[in-house]
Amino acid sequence: MNRRELIAGIAGLSLAAAGRAHAQGVPEVTIGAIYPLTGASAQVGFDAKLAVETALDVVNTVHDLDLPTARNAGLSGLGGAKVRVVFADHQGDPQKGRAEAERLISQEKVSAIFGTYHSSVATTVSATADRYQVPFLAADSSSPTLQRRKLRYFFRAMADDEQFSKVMFDFLDAERKGGRAVEKIALFHEDTIFGTDSSNIQRQLAESRGYRIVADIKYRANSPSLTSEVQQLKAAQPDVLLPSSYTTDAILLIKTMNDLGFQPPALIAQAAGFVDKALYDAVGDKVDGLITRAEFSLDLAQRRPMIAKVNYLYRARSGKDMNENTSREFMAVILLADAIDRARSISGPAVRDALASTDLPGERTIMPWKYVKFGPDGQNTGLNPVLLQYIDGRFATIFPPDVAVRPVEWPMR
Amino acid sequence: MTSDTLIQVLLSGLLMGLIYGLVAVGLSLIFGLMDVVNFAHGEFLMIAMYVMFGLVVFSGIDPLVMTPLAVGALFVLGALTYVGVIRHAMRAKANVGMVQIFATFGLAITMRGVAQYFLTPNYRSLPESLLGGKTVALAGIVLPLPQLAGGLISLAAFGALYALMTRTDLGRALEATREDAGAVALVGIDKDREFMIGWGIGAALIGLAGSVLAIFYYIYPDVGAPFAVIAYITVVLGGFGSIFGALLAGVVVGLAEAAMTLVAPPAMKSIGIYILFLAVVIFRPRGLFGKF
Repeated sequence: MNRRELIAGIAGLSLAAAGRAHAQGVPEVTIGAIYPLTGASAQVGFDAKLAVETALDVVNTVHDLDLPTARNAGLSGLGGAKVRVVFADHQGDPQKGRAEAERLISQEKVSAIFGTYHSSVATTVSATADRYQVPFLAADSSSPTLQRRKLRYFFRAMADDEQFSKVMFDFLDAERKGGRAVEKIALFHEDTIFGTDSSNIQRQLAESRGYRIVADIKYRANSPSLTSEVQQLKAAQPDVLLPSSYTTDAILLIKTMNDLGFQPPALIAQAAGFVDKALYDAVGDKVDGLITRAEFSLDLAQRRPMIAKVNYLYRARSGKDMNENTSREFMAVILLADAIDRARSISGPAVRDALASTDLPGERTIMPWKYVKFGPDGQNTGLNPVLLQYIDGRFATIFPPDVAVRPVEWPMR
Repeated sequence: MTSDTLIQVLLSGLLMGLIYGLVAVGLSLIFGLMDVVNFAHGEFLMIAMYVMFGLVVFSGIDPLVMTPLAVGALFVLGALTYVGVIRHAMRAKANVGMVQIFATFGLAITMRGVAQYFLTPNYRSLPESLLGGKTVALAGIVLPLPQLAGGLISLAAFGALYALMTRTDLGRALEATREDAGAVALVGIDKDREFMIGWGIGAALIGLAGSVLAIFYYIYPDVGAPFAVIAYITVVLGGFGSIFGALLAGVVVGLAEAAMTLVAPPAMKSIGIYILFLAVVIFRPRGLFGKF
């Protein structure tokens, strides 16, 4: 080794040491994500990972986007600390979710947790997080019972099924007022907390607004066959079918309806499986005219240009457009990064207080939210749920009228 | 409820039951032959459905035509599974039963993991086929053609299996091996070969079931799970090792499931099967037609 090489070597070593010292000075921020990575809903977890990676790219590198933490590399409030998301697999099982939450908190030392798609899992995970004083952000679980348990560490930026169902019935009221024959309603829902809560609310709304419930079918999730259930729906001859199902059941429902020659004039879904691309790949030709509640739609990009920019980033990574779920998962990372950035701390209680004081205008999100401000129960108060209709292979916003981009097609084709 | 609905629901249950029987019979056959419960049964079904999917998508030929190829592929997979895994598990020096259980259980997890990794967790469906989405209507009763064809194919498969087991040398050799795997060596039957063929036939039957299901069901790495549970119940109900028992028990399970949706919330439809299952385990542990 000659002298030049020696000097270069020493310089290299000291640079590396300096780099390490720098890294030690800035804490790395770890957030836990609990999703179904295997099992019947694994595709949701798979897509969530891509959405989270997109969000981490926005947070950890410099982007010309008007999203919190986007313009700096890392979190400026913590000296440029990078954010890392650790994924855990709940397989659709609430008990596995609870165990994974404990592992993330005690071993990975996460500053916050988000997830979990299934409301049944969100129930156990949020209770566990609350006990350990770590904030839990329900990114994409919509059951309204979640925020009714007075958990101090629970937050949700998206609408719940109560708010979504209200929009559905506002829409039905408007159609009825417009002279449409809308009287007989059929409920069809899976048997975990998501389906049960959703149908309870829909039943109450239907009764209070004077609709007749002609079928109310609670079915077993992931059933090998839905023939008898669909037969009962068909016999009830509803004007509107309101299903609350995850993807596997949604595909089977549509296939079985098609097999048995049953098509109601309108089908208004509680998102979940009905916004999953897999459903449209499998049976898209059979659901032209399907309506679903939503909080996200690509056509909203006309009013909120950032949607198109972020969708471009996500598309480059995944090869597909963002949907209802991936857009919320993306925002979950942004909201948590923003709170940790403002908290200037990675401790659970500090992050919790920062989350509670979140005040983000809707324009600085990719959702149609008016703003993000959490109420005392942790639920965002600035919501703006919409209805989308799937026509000619794409979703278009049809309700409420002030954001609709086209009129509804009724009956569905 | 109208009588139309009643007949419709029961007929649908009957057709689904015949398919349940077909899903279960391979499991029963393998157990009858060599006392091994294949815990990867649902995963064999999953592989069969993917094989069918691959064959149809790549060839563009109708699933009905491709079925024999899928069945053949699963026969080979079954035989290879015996040679590669089960034969070794059966040679364990201690706790042979446990080793067999863990071998097939491990196989199940591996198969599911591999499918999830290489095929992604995405849901897939067969493209339009001759039968897919078509129905026949008879006096107000609508029967989906895929299920109708599935039911008839199941019946034919049971007939063929029965003939194979009772009318051919191969069947007699299998039966003899089942009766006494040690003694058959004396008459020149290679036990290992019989077991391998038995696994092949068992897997071929699940290959047929998978082909039938793929026409009207969605496909994803966990698709085997709900069917495997039903298959285990069907085999216990029908009696371990009994071909006819698997057929009858499949129909009983299909009908019980359908009938339950008429009298109870559909979410409870499996309860009837479980009660039946418990009753059989308590009062007739060898099942309706079991020989053990």
